[in-house]
Amino acid sequence: MSMNTAAVNSRKATGAHEGRAPTQRKSWAVPLGLQQLLVFVSLLATWQITSLYFSLDFWISSPVAVYQEFIRWYASGTLLNDLRMTLTAAGSGFVIGSIGGAIIGFLLGWIRKLGDLLEPLILSLYSLPKVALAPLFVLWFGIGITNKIMFAAIIVFFMVFFTTFQGTRQVDRDMITNARLLGASKFQTWTRIAIPYSSIWVITGLRIGLPYALIGAIVGEFVAANAGVGYRIKEATSYFNTSGVFAGLIMLMLISFTLLGILKLIEKRVLYWQTAEVALGEDASKHIP
Amino acid sequence: MHAPTGSVDAGAGLRRPAIDFRDASVRFGDFTAMGPVNLTVERGEFLVIVGPSGCGKSTLLNLVAGTLQPFTGETIFNGAPVEGLNPAVGYITQKNYCLPWLTVEGNVRLPLEFRRFPKAQVASLAASALERVGLRGFEKAYPRQLSGGMLQRVMIARTLVYEPDIYLMDEPFGSLDALLRTKMHDEILHLWKDTDATFVFVTHDLAEAVTLADRVVVMSGRPGQVKLTLDIDLPRPRDVVDIQSNPRFGGYIKTLWEALDLN
Repeated sequence: MSMNTAAVNSRKATGAHEGRAPTQRKSWAVPLGLQQLLVFVSLLATWQITSLYFSLDFWISSPVAVYQEFIRWYASGTLLNDLRMTLTAAGSGFVIGSIGGAIIGFLLGWIRKLGDLLEPLILSLYSLPKVALAPLFVLWFGIGITNKIMFAAIIVFFMVFFTTFQGTRQVDRDMITNARLLGASKFQTWTRIAIPYSSIWVITGLRIGLPYALIGAIVGEFVAANAGVGYRIKEATSYFNTSGVFAGLIMLMLISFTLLGILKLIEKRVLYWQTAEVALGEDASKHIP
Repeated sequence: MHAPTGSVDAGAGLRRPAIDFRDASVRFGDFTAMGPVNLTVERGEFLVIVGPSGCGKSTLLNLVAGTLQPFTGETIFNGAPVEGLNPAVGYITQKNYCLPWLTVEGNVRLPLEFRRFPKAQVASLAASALERVGLRGFEKAYPRQLSGGMLQRVMIARTLVYEPDIYLMDEPFGSLDALLRTKMHDEILHLWKDTDATFVFVTHDLAEAVTLADRVVVMSGRPGQVKLTLDIDLPRPRDVVDIQSNPRFGGYIKTLWEALDLN
């Protein structure tokens, strides 16, 4: 009601016509961020109320209980310790897997004959559910952090590798011929064209691979561990501690969310040219037909 | 009279032709795509090749650029057969080969950097190339910010910046609208006048052909062969609009159209 009045008033004030209503609406509209926050808060509220009203706290816990669990973990030091373990495993695995995936993906994608030769092998490895490797990795790397790192690395490797491989293969060969006519040496076609091109795909691969690093670390912790967020979730489940399980899940969400945010920032810096303003082209056509 | 640098003078003899196709034919597998073709392109000439789709117009350009090797015969470029890629050519197609992560200026500098021009020279050459195609002020723009016509100008700037001996143009304005195309014709004629370079221009637009050419070659299809060469005896410098009302303009188009024999 009061919002409507405000809208009418502002329209009157600026003398805007109906055709311009959309721009006027902006002046009183709730910002998107606030709307998203409202959705989030109402979800939490629904969760809390459902839990209390239907006495479901054993099954679905409740936001307050989860919060208390967090506080308890924080006080006992397990929160930071678990975070450190999981982040180290996921982070190291991510770095190792990405570097390996990017380099090998680029080479096999760029050197066509090599790619053709190894494609069936690659496809069959790609289609293998990587989780099935977990027991084997315990055998190979023990139950320490190496196991989790390697497991996260292998999953990320395949994600980054495959994206880079596929993307690099699609690089227009005419583009390379054109560069050679412009005077590029073979080496320059690598450094100035092939590598920058496939870096676009590497970044896409990294974005897809990042959540998988976390999956790798968590699955590793499920299989065999004595600390880490995955271990904590498993432990809480065995004690029927639903609050603990939810606390662990929320922790994973927060980690994943933060890491993707960081990656997005990096992406923005590397792929700056993709986000450049388009308006220039329209403007320019006024000066040059 | 219409010849650009006097190279057409038969008595000169000392100057080698820019390109000489000698019995050049091209095969893809068992399929003869083109030839044999015998054709000489004089130095400084503006030659236009017209013909139906798939008649080997682009194949001729590819032979000069060295991206294709003839099955029989040879392509003589500046007195020597073309073997392997020929970086003395400037090849412009309607395809946009700008590197999207480089600015307009970065793209124009590219051939100079490939060719290891001295750093001090690179900047000034790139600037004057951009000036010549009317892109001053757009140095820092990225390709995706530009319209089709402007991208085509970048491709031209990127070619003229290293002063190739010969410009190979494969329907460079095929994707542009009619107005912009006419404007580009004017610019191409200026570019041609300002350099000693030879132009070989492929199109299927007969008006475009007559407007630009010293000589038009009509090719017939499958396998592509030279069917007719027609000297375009229209005064230069040409105004790309006025030329169309020259009484001979229509006659040339009619001759070319009949030679194409699309019926």
